Amino acid sequence: MSVMTDIPSKSKIVFTSAAPPRSVCITVPNGKRLWHGKEGILFLLGMLALWQAVSGCIHFSSKYLFPTPLVTARALWQSLPELLKGTGSSFVILAPGYLLAVLAGVVWGLLVGTIPALHRMFSPFARFASPVPPTVYIPYAIALLPTFRMAAGFVVFIGAFWPVFLNTCTGAAALPQRYRDNARILGFTRGEYLWRIVLPASLPHIFSGMGVGLVFSFIMLTVAELFGASAGLGRFVQLYADYADYPRMVAGIFYTGFVVLLSVELLEQIKKRALFWVK
Amino acid sequence: MTHSITENPKQSHGLSAREVSFAHGRATVLAGIDFDIEEGEFVSLLGPSGCGKTTLLRLLAGLETPATGNISWKTRPITGPSLDRGVVFQDYSLFPWMTLRKNLSTALAKSHPEMDKRWRLDLADQYLEMVGLADSIGKYPFELSGGMQQRGAIARTLAMGSPVLLMDEPFGALDPVNRARLQDLVLDVWSGVTPRKTVVFVTHDIEEALYLSSRVIMLGASPGRIIDQIQVSFPRPRSRAQLLDSGAFQELRGRIAARFRQDVNNSCESESLVGHAEGI
Repeated sequence: MSVMTDIPSKSKIVFTSAAPPRSVCITVPNGKRLWHGKEGILFLLGMLALWQAVSGCIHFSSKYLFPTPLVTARALWQSLPELLKGTGSSFVILAPGYLLAVLAGVVWGLLVGTIPALHRMFSPFARFASPVPPTVYIPYAIALLPTFRMAAGFVVFIGAFWPVFLNTCTGAAALPQRYRDNARILGFTRGEYLWRIVLPASLPHIFSGMGVGLVFSFIMLTVAELFGASAGLGRFVQLYADYADYPRMVAGIFYTGFVVLLSVELLEQIKKRALFWVK
Repeated sequence: MTHSITENPKQSHGLSAREVSFAHGRATVLAGIDFDIEEGEFVSLLGPSGCGKTTLLRLLAGLETPATGNISWKTRPITGPSLDRGVVFQDYSLFPWMTLRKNLSTALAKSHPEMDKRWRLDLADQYLEMVGLADSIGKYPFELSGGMQQRGAIARTLAMGSPVLLMDEPFGALDPVNRARLQDLVLDVWSGVTPRKTVVFVTHDIEEALYLSSRVIMLGASPGRIIDQIQVSFPRPRSRAQLLDSGAFQELRGRIAARFRQDVNNSCESESLVGHAEGI
């Protein structure tokens, strides 16, 4: 179990570096109450100012290689219809791959986490397969599968499956003994036990796996789109990089960031509702 | 000193343990446990922490299997948990993701599968009302105090209608007021239904054991074993205030405490002897 449990924690590190806490809490001396609680916004404004200063002052070979905030904003506005269309196209790949990965990861994770024989059977394979960076599958998946959508959906699935599975498995295996005892006292069947006890008790773990998996799916999706998509967020960035239209490219990067942020936030809201009983 | 309730073990119709031992790895937790508990009897398992009283209760529940010996209920050997034996654990055993009512109705679905769903909900409400939780039926465990949660756990076990109640220090984490209230609740339930339920009540509190039970089985530590059994024949219904002040109660309490002290001294001596022998 030990190796299997430390894999999700590795992925968690990736997750936290990708999405740092939005407001960092620093204790401020009494005199500086003005700043208190606004550190996050101030930092973003500072970054914007720095961006403006650098892009305005430093001479690049092409003035469009490092566009100013204003130019980027204008490009973002102009590309919005195209970006929205790209978002739709991206989600057509992302949603089925991710949801299927959550379903498979949760079901298989609950079974492997509660049935020792299954755990002994699967964990050597998981130990080998789960650390493989899923991006290395992309070229082969594109070559192997008939359509790009299937290939991209497949790598999204792989990217999200392992974090969801490993976290679910850890949660199911770490079920507090009192729940297990109570389920036995009440005479639950295996199905009832998994559905009524193990699944809800593992939800905190499952949601943390889903969070990591969601960020992973976006990474997999956009990387796959760089390779061979005809539409989508990654494709948008790649296309305007090829045309050397850097304002649009930078706008695409920002836009992708917003989409991931919104998706993570949506998941966070679902998690809050589902885990209201965790105190 | 040991009072044998039945001379012939085959005639026991309650809970019986015959030469039961249990071990965690190489450490013997229980050895030579032998007793009979009659149907309808209220028995306390009293002993210091680490004497294996919780393990003994888990064996009675069927959550553990003895290493040697056997345990039976109504002459049938206990091989696993059964709805015959309801258990109340010390840590609140309600499922935190279900409301009180859902906790009870889920249990009732297992104990009364033939019952209509609406009746199950009604029954759940009745039992919650009985333990004084009528206003909290739709609440989740995290919204309730420890005492209320434990009431809910008791209501759940009672609602299931098991003839045997196994209680593992059920009030150990409660404040004295709640503790006294729930003790009285358990006594009311026990004496209020016919046929009476068979109760095995694990505690380390001598007063609690004497106040509640008809017999106290005293357990000593390392290894856990029965050191004595004492009949508690104070008339019922018992009044807490009168009983605790009575000379008979204090005399019995003193006797039990002395018996435990003696056992600890004995085992300390034997331990030092063992240590000495191992040194050689």
